[in-house]
Amino acid sequence: MKVKVHYRGQLKELEFEKQSVRAVDVLKALGLSSEYAFVVRGDEILDEKEIIKDGEELRVINAISGGLEYL
Amino acid sequence: MKRCYKCGQKAVVFLKHHRIAFCREHYIEWYLRRVEQTIKEFRMFGKEDKLLVAISGGKDSLSLWDALYRLSYSADGLYINLGIGEYSQKSLQACKNFADKRGLKLHVLDLQKEIATIPQIKEVEKRPACSFCGQLKRYYMNRFARMHGYTVIATGHNLDDESATLFSNVLSWNIEYLARQYPVLPESDGLVRKVKPLVKFTEKENALYAFLSGIDYVEEECPFAEGASSIEHKKILSQLEEKSPGTKLRFYMDFIRKFHALLGHKEVRLRPCSLCGEPTVSEVCSVCKLKEKTNLKTLSSLPNS
Repeated sequence: MKVKVHYRGQLKELEFEKQSVRAVDVLKALGLSSEYAFVVRGDEILDEKEIIKDGEELRVINAISGGLEYL
Repeated sequence: MKRCYKCGQKAVVFLKHHRIAFCREHYIEWYLRRVEQTIKEFRMFGKEDKLLVAISGGKDSLSLWDALYRLSYSADGLYINLGIGEYSQKSLQACKNFADKRGLKLHVLDLQKEIATIPQIKEVEKRPACSFCGQLKRYYMNRFARMHGYTVIATGHNLDDESATLFSNVLSWNIEYLARQYPVLPESDGLVRKVKPLVKFTEKENALYAFLSGIDYVEEECPFAEGASSIEHKKILSQLEEKSPGTKLRFYMDFIRKFHALLGHKEVRLRPCSLCGEPTVSEVCSVCKLKEKTNLKTLSSLPNS
């Protein structure tokens, strides 16, 4: 199944071999963890166990930002 | 389905390390209360203070400004335009939109007019961009705040920033830096007080607050931050957090509560820079030295030089 994901200003298409895909799988496919990222459907934040449907368009928010000047 | 612990409605946020779930309304309420508690716990400032919030256009600084506004503090924003192409343009626009929507005062300081843009400085400076960029931001924030009568500078540093900094400083046992790592840096000769009211919030908690409050912030990463060691340190700490929720908060807050005082306070003698008058430990401050380097490069690239 395929899922479209808006992520940091880009639209990515993710393809999954398995048919039962959950929000956490979308994060994993982008190399992210639910510790610092989450999936959004419309204006709803999805639980990591939420099932994703084929062809859905989602948004992923990655909260990690870097470039700290260590003090 | 998880339910909000306050009202029993469907929860939209679950905070593993606090073992608590919230609906949108009660998450915002919890966040604001925790900001207020942090301000009071560390005696950061009061309602009479004139705050300058350092704004980048990202989730942390805009969430902070929004929270201070909702908590009725007197807080204006300062955006330093670093001149990093499209990234800086988008960030500035996000800050302007945010301020306009709430009727807040936003100051914009153009780094190009003061010294040069970050990409221009990168051509003459070997250090990582984040290192001199941070130095420049601190210098101009302090100078601007003092010149415009602000009594406190507030920044959006979060728990991930602080725990990654602590991790790095412990790895190298940098005692001097460890001693300076605290949510409040008091005012001293020429230096305005600096505070970090978001030190108890993870980046995700700030992103959730921004999302649930309808704050449009810039999600893209600064192009110069790519590959920064701080990001790697944050990911390592997140792995620990995943296995043992609460690790980051415990690591940082136990350092602040149990260890920081043991490091003692070493009085650093500051004097005015002989060129710009800003407080420094040496004859000429690091920003004036950087200015000189940048000017030399500009002169040497002129056709007749």
